[in-house]
Amino acid sequence: MDNREAKFILGAYRPGGQDANDRRFVEALEQARRDSMLQRWFQDSIAFDTTMTDKLRAIEVPLDLRGSILTGVKVSRSLRSSKPLIKWAIAAVFFLSVILGSLVWRETRPAHLAGWQNEALGVISSLVRNESRFDIQSHKPAELVSWLHSNHAPVADKLPSNLDNLESLGCKTFSCHGVPVSVICFMRPDGGLLHLLTTNASPLSDRVFQAEAKFVQQGEWATATWREGERVYMLALEGSRDQLQSYLL
Amino acid sequence: MSNVDFQQLVDQQYAPLYRFALALAKSEADAADLTQQTFFLWALKGDQLRDRSKAKAWLFTTLYHEFLSRRRHDVRFPRVELNDLPEEEMSTFPNVNAFDSATVLQALREVGEPYRAPLTLFYLEQFSYHEIADVLEVPIGTVMSRLSRGKALLRSRLAGRSREETFGNKIVGLQSNKMEKSHG
Repeated sequence: MDNREAKFILGAYRPGGQDANDRRFVEALEQARRDSMLQRWFQDSIAFDTTMTDKLRAIEVPLDLRGSILTGVKVSRSLRSSKPLIKWAIAAVFFLSVILGSLVWRETRPAHLAGWQNEALGVISSLVRNESRFDIQSHKPAELVSWLHSNHAPVADKLPSNLDNLESLGCKTFSCHGVPVSVICFMRPDGGLLHLLTTNASPLSDRVFQAEAKFVQQGEWATATWREGERVYMLALEGSRDQLQSYLL
Repeated sequence: MSNVDFQQLVDQQYAPLYRFALALAKSEADAADLTQQTFFLWALKGDQLRDRSKAKAWLFTTLYHEFLSRRRHDVRFPRVELNDLPEEEMSTFPNVNAFDSATVLQALREVGEPYRAPLTLFYLEQFSYHEIADVLEVPIGTVMSRLSRGKALLRSRLAGRSREETFGNKIVGLQSNKMEKSHG
């Protein structure tokens, strides 16, 4: 471990000393004990952090905020608890409608995406529209895979061979309903983008996804999802199923 | 949850939540509104949380989600990478004692949101990197990276203000010397 790495890790060390026994810090702390320059930096860092905490905790809170919260919630509660019988009757009718509706819909619906897949497409869209950022950017997919491995994010042990030849843009990690997901974005030769999502397989995904890719066209998005070992992968692009299929050969 | 329990939770958490919101939001009014909205959501959904010891983390996570959903189409933050920062800015520490809380808060607000949220949780609540990862729902490595970059950016902002103040004082000093001479 060099000093730059040690500084990176010690940046998360809390000045109160609560983290002294955390194994992630042990090596960096040891490095600081051995290296006087790093030791001085660490002491300055702790002093800086302590003062920052004091300064931020001294920010005054509006005097009427507590009263507003308590009064506002009290008013909301009283509105919510009025006319309970009507409320329950409406809820029961609504509940029955939902059950009946879902039974009919289940029989007639086309192939669709699961909740996490829709959420993941939302994340990709925000990346494409530049509304959110990559965690890290690189034109080399192997670098992104390595970064995801080192951050314990779900990632393919080996990228599908047709993707390995593409140039990448970056990757991002996020979670859908508490389940970690990673996405690597690639540049296609035709100028478009291609996205590989990876998440960990679960008992539910065992039932839904198999080794053979399941294609779903949703709006402008073409997606293919499959399971391989302990991972579930989804490949997505804005385009047609035929375009997507060429990356799965 | 009884009214007494709710009041206790408000008493314990409204000030730190407000300060967290203030570091994220654009104005004091927005911060107060975010704090209030978070407690409204707690009043609606808090009963679903079985482990009461996680109420604090729930409140911070909810406030952060509220903030994100409000600003989703709002602001684009400039990209600043660790490698973009000069080594000296990674290593030097401005004297924070020289600034008041408002200036420190302003410097924190000037740091991009991805860094600002973990920094605020780290400083205000002394959350561990594990807890920050849970609240923000990002991997531990990302938290460490954002803390490291965020602190470097914050130091850079504060050092800039320090230089501005020193430079400004010198100009004022020179001008007042000139004035005294011309009057003498």
